[in-house]
Amino acid sequence: MAGEANRERVSNDPVVEAYKKGIDRTLIRENLKLSVEDRFRKAMALAVFADEMRRAGREARTRQA
Amino acid sequence: MTDFGALLAALGECQVEYIVVDGAAAIAHGSARLTQDLDVVYRRTPENLDRLVAALAAHKPYLRGAPAGLPFLWDRDVLRRGLNFTLITSLGEIDLLGEIPGGGAWEDLQAGAIELKVFGTSCLCLSLPQLIRAKVAAGRPKDLEALAELEAILEEDGEYGVLPD
Repeated sequence: MAGEANRERVSNDPVVEAYKKGIDRTLIRENLKLSVEDRFRKAMALAVFADEMRRAGREARTRQA
Repeated sequence: MTDFGALLAALGECQVEYIVVDGAAAIAHGSARLTQDLDVVYRRTPENLDRLVAALAAHKPYLRGAPAGLPFLWDRDVLRRGLNFTLITSLGEIDLLGEIPGGGAWEDLQAGAIELKVFGTSCLCLSLPQLIRAKVAAGRPKDLEALAELEAILEEDGEYGVLPD
């Protein structure tokens, strides 16, 4: 299996390995099912969502102040 | 928000020679991490500098973070005198890099890069192993988590096969 073979090609840096334990591989697997263009579209949609959440957060903090 | 499709199309229309690197390249390979800008390594031949100037001229390129009103002339001489440019345009944020740590210049990277066909254009993009080498070479603490994800993608996916098209 190519994925198995690729395990020999990674850095084996202990810090990177520690971070790897926290990676949500289900998100990666879902992205790998998409075309490259759809991966970019998804990233742009996420950016729009992030902007909207930042705006809403600022607004909420202003209301509380 | 950076319109990745429009920026790639603008560069493609003027036949700019460039390679997508960093966060946008990671997205192409399946990364779930957000990135704000399009980072590209551009070829620094006089002809390509002219193409790059033409591609972005209509999109009001300006130095990102510079005070408003600072004179900034977008032409080949400016590109020739500098190397890396962090720009804001009407299509979003784009970083033009003359070279990257762990990879070098366009000439060093292009043979190993992969071709993406996206948004009605085609462009070169760092392969996953190139992207990982660049992250390792950059050596920034902030890159360690991104590096972990790229290595996880390499483990999850086939040899270089993150391109279902």
